[in-house]
Amino acid sequence: MSRSDDVYVVGCGMHPFGRDESVTGMDMAERAVREALADAGVAWEDIGYAAGGSDVSGKPDTLVGRLGLTGVPFVNVQNGCATGASTVLAVANALRAGEATLGLAVGFDKHERGAFHVSAARYGLGDWYAETGMMLTTQFFALKTQRYLYEHGLSERALAMVAARAFRNGAHHPLAWRRKPLTEREILDSAEVSPPLTQYMFCSPGQGAAALVLALGDRAFDLCERPVKLASLAFRTRRFGSFEVFSPWLPPGPHHSPSVDAADAAFRTAEVRPTDVQVAQLQDTDSGSELIHLAETGLCGHGEQEELLAGGATDPTGRIPVNTDGGCLAGGEPVGASGLRQFHEVVRQLQGRAPGVQVPGAPRVGFTHVYGAPGISACSVLTI
Amino acid sequence: MTTRLIDESLFEDVEDVEDIENVENRAFDDGHAPRLAGARCSGCGTVVFPRQDSCPRCADGAMSTRVLPVSGRVWSWTLQAFPPKPPYRPPTGGHQPYLVGYVDLGEVLVEALLAVPRADIRIGLPVRLTTVPAYWDEDGTEVVTFAFHPERDGER
Repeated sequence: MSRSDDVYVVGCGMHPFGRDESVTGMDMAERAVREALADAGVAWEDIGYAAGGSDVSGKPDTLVGRLGLTGVPFVNVQNGCATGASTVLAVANALRAGEATLGLAVGFDKHERGAFHVSAARYGLGDWYAETGMMLTTQFFALKTQRYLYEHGLSERALAMVAARAFRNGAHHPLAWRRKPLTEREILDSAEVSPPLTQYMFCSPGQGAAALVLALGDRAFDLCERPVKLASLAFRTRRFGSFEVFSPWLPPGPHHSPSVDAADAAFRTAEVRPTDVQVAQLQDTDSGSELIHLAETGLCGHGEQEELLAGGATDPTGRIPVNTDGGCLAGGEPVGASGLRQFHEVVRQLQGRAPGVQVPGAPRVGFTHVYGAPGISACSVLTI
Repeated sequence: MTTRLIDESLFEDVEDVEDIENVENRAFDDGHAPRLAGARCSGCGTVVFPRQDSCPRCADGAMSTRVLPVSGRVWSWTLQAFPPKPPYRPPTGGHQPYLVGYVDLGEVLVEALLAVPRADIRIGLPVRLTTVPAYWDEDGTEVVTFAFHPERDGER
């Protein structure tokens, strides 16, 4: 494939994650878009195709009322935790198909405090499932983690190390929500939520927005000194036998995750190996999820995580830096914005201008991974 | 006191359960034991719970009711420490932390409440089907749901 067919990130913007009662989801999205446009050195009028995603905070295409009524095609996406990746996929495909040479992807959300509200009917389940107290995302993550630790001989300390690294990275990141480092002991001793996971091993629904400007082929190099190539982006739904949230039953194992399929496809298309990755983003709704995703994406083998973490391999100075901005644990999870936050961080790392701790040695290969209900995953490889 | 099952479609009233005296039976007064009822695909043998009319694995088979085994082992477990938001219906007296998990019944793993002491809970623990109170209806009817409790000696 020649350079003219490739899609590049040429600008990115982000509204700080966290809680800020003075702004709406749309306010944050507008700010992220304007920052991304300025970063790319283009105007809203130059955007030929746009996609936006939000889970609960409004219709993204109504942003044209704030940004300018240019007539631009603007697709709305609601794809759970893969919302951000889906907006990037929609824009990248449109650019490759010749719809435009410059596109914009934006994601935003502003959630209520506490666990997400659930509806049994919305998931095709009987009322009994929620009434008897089994329909909670936190329970699912705990059940999956409990089994994973058992099967692979990992201890609860591995979970604490994931969270400690997240808060350590978040403490240095100006756009993160949780900015206070916590020790492994403080994390292990925090309130019991659903063992083996404690309070500080879970992320919280929060708020935030992020946006990317994407350009096709030579246009990218005209606009940007260091465009980051979207070497691949693969999106997969679950196949039979995956262990997913809100499952009253599971088939006997082994259980396959859509993350395995999405990561494999992303690496194949980009023609890079997991060992080539120099900066990675993994979905860390909780410490256990990140542990599992490290292996499911191929970044390490099952059961190797504890040793990797203890040796500092996933720190910014390590062999495979993970969630250098603190991930969901330090940033919270505004569902529509979370996937684009990952792109924002990896792009800035590859360009050598990380907002927080910069990975040393000029990394050239980055990776992003999201995973969510009801069994979806999207992975990308970014290169410079 | 009258009782009712939380959802009839989850159960099958089996008259010929081989060891009926060992099945705790709070739902009925007539000695019939409620058993969990899933469905089995005639094409690929996949067993699902609750029942459904189509197979999630193959397009070929027909689904028929499958009464599930009563004994299995804890496959994974956790505790629900904080009170869930509605539509969770707490028992009378309010929320108390409770155990949940998946029970490996061989042909299928079923998610269930675990009526097991916290000190005894572990992956691999042999457990057996029972019923437990879920909540009370406004008219005082006790609504019961399925759960698993530790298998007692001699039950297997």
